[in-house]
Amino acid sequence: MFTLFSTPTWFNGYDLLFAAVNLVIALLIAGYSWKIFKINKENKFGYFSFAFILIALAHIFKLMTQGLLYYSPWRSVATQIVAPVVGMAQNGVHYSDIFFRTGFFLSMITMLGAWLLIYFVSQKKSGRLNSYYEISQIGLFVYLVGLISFVSNFKYSVFYLTSSVILGMIVLNYYKNYLNTNKNRNAVKVMSSFMLLLFGNISFIFVFINESLYVIGELFMLLGFLLLLYTHHKVTHK
Amino acid sequence: MATRRSRLELIFDILLSIQNKGGKIKPTHLMYKSNLSHKLLNNYLDELVMKELVLIEDIIGKKKQKSTKAIVLTDKGLSFLAEFRRMREFTDAFGL
Repeated sequence: MFTLFSTPTWFNGYDLLFAAVNLVIALLIAGYSWKIFKINKENKFGYFSFAFILIALAHIFKLMTQGLLYYSPWRSVATQIVAPVVGMAQNGVHYSDIFFRTGFFLSMITMLGAWLLIYFVSQKKSGRLNSYYEISQIGLFVYLVGLISFVSNFKYSVFYLTSSVILGMIVLNYYKNYLNTNKNRNAVKVMSSFMLLLFGNISFIFVFINESLYVIGELFMLLGFLLLLYTHHKVTHK
Repeated sequence: MATRRSRLELIFDILLSIQNKGGKIKPTHLMYKSNLSHKLLNNYLDELVMKELVLIEDIIGKKKQKSTKAIVLTDKGLSFLAEFRRMREFTDAFGL
């Protein structure tokens, strides 16, 4: 069976439940940001909404790929559907491997794209580059994100290492935002939630040392998203 | 240097000035409170009346018994103010 990295078997399924929760939270934030974009037509809200849609997509790809990996009945059903179309493995080509690698690739590229977009959007105007350089920089980053997502299929830690670096820069941006908004309580909550996501990604890098770090990483990720949900609730129900 | 206010921020400032005066304000007072020119304020007021966020009432002055105009904040205007505050809180929290 295809494995990107080994995870504790008793935890199989719980991580999918966590991913489903994170997916709903991401969609809620994307929805509210889109609502603001429709009112004031400012692009940054549109980009922010798109970033959270990408996070939701990343979780959907994760649910599909890992769901098939964990549950053999689902795998059998999928094989029965796909086999007549693509045929059985020929000339050493394993379609299941291609499916899983594609799934992980899509999950990684959407997640990295989302973090990068949040990093750009959370930059203050004065810290941004002018539009020409910004476009060329984004082009370069898109290429690198694609490359990293591809390489990560063979060396998964590259993905989490890159995620951690971008998340670290996002946390720094949110720390500046916390200071700029006269130590706004909700700003510190957003900063803390991205810090939890950063801790989660750092834990994932070292899963090769101890499998239980995967559980810790997933817990950090869930806590990060729950804190984002709490902040979203505080802001929208004021 | 202070940055230019966006269209939405200007509308918020106008509605907030009316709310701070107890929901009813004279046009001249509103002009000073919201820091806008007469022409610009009239443009915005036309839009706000059209969107039913404010309404213009005729009132009789106490001293001279003369009819003057007052701008009144509607319920829709009040809920817009609340929504705008939530939007601003979201913007501050998420650093947008």
